[in-house]
Amino acid sequence: MSMFGAISTAHSGLQVHRTWLDATSDNIANLNTVRSTDEPAFQARYVMAQAVEGAGARVAGVEYGSAEGRLAHQPDHPLADADGMVRLPDMDMGSQMTSLMLAQRGYQANLSVVETARDAYRAALQLGRS
Amino acid sequence: MAIPPISARPMGGTGPIARPTMAPTGGQPAAGQTGATDEAGFGKAIADALGSVQETHQVADGLAQQAATGQLENVHDYMIAATQAQLATELTVAVRNKALESFNEIMRMQV
Repeated sequence: MSMFGAISTAHSGLQVHRTWLDATSDNIANLNTVRSTDEPAFQARYVMAQAVEGAGARVAGVEYGSAEGRLAHQPDHPLADADGMVRLPDMDMGSQMTSLMLAQRGYQANLSVVETARDAYRAALQLGRS
Repeated sequence: MAIPPISARPMGGTGPIARPTMAPTGGQPAAGQTGATDEAGFGKAIADALGSVQETHQVADGLAQQAATGQLENVHDYMIAATQAQLATELTVAVRNKALESFNEIMRMQV
């Protein structure tokens, strides 16, 4: 709706950040997902945001992290191979938590844009009211 | 609605044969031809605005129903639709109040 442009733009931003939050939570949930060495590791999801000319942002797609992961020596693990190696996803908790915070803050920022735009439109409606 | 000037009205016996219909006044359609078909007045403007307001409300209602039945994917979808519907309603009501105020002012005019 073009009449409330700022609200629609913030809506698109909310959509992008929500997708990012979902992807990051999935990554964090799988931080310790162990696979055997003959399987690909859990691949982290990275949301690709793209600007839409004059209308905010949109999710252009999702990219996946390394399928190779990193090998860890855990001989007691049921999935360990003959050398006692297992495959772990190639991501660290620090960067995933940073992404989580960025996504959360971005979501909140877009929400406050909605609130500010709503207040501004409402103030415009008060124009000339006695 | 355009009101044709008095001089444009056909007068019997003056000059060449007067056309039976009223002369168009500056590109506006003649008053007698518009009728109820395409009345571009305040009433139509308000009716159109109310139509689009109703559409925004229908979107918000649909999302509210999804929220109640647990099918709503994004909470912000409903909140934004509801905010837009509310703002659109407030805008229409403000326009209507302003027009009514002007109309009353004209009605109070002493002649």
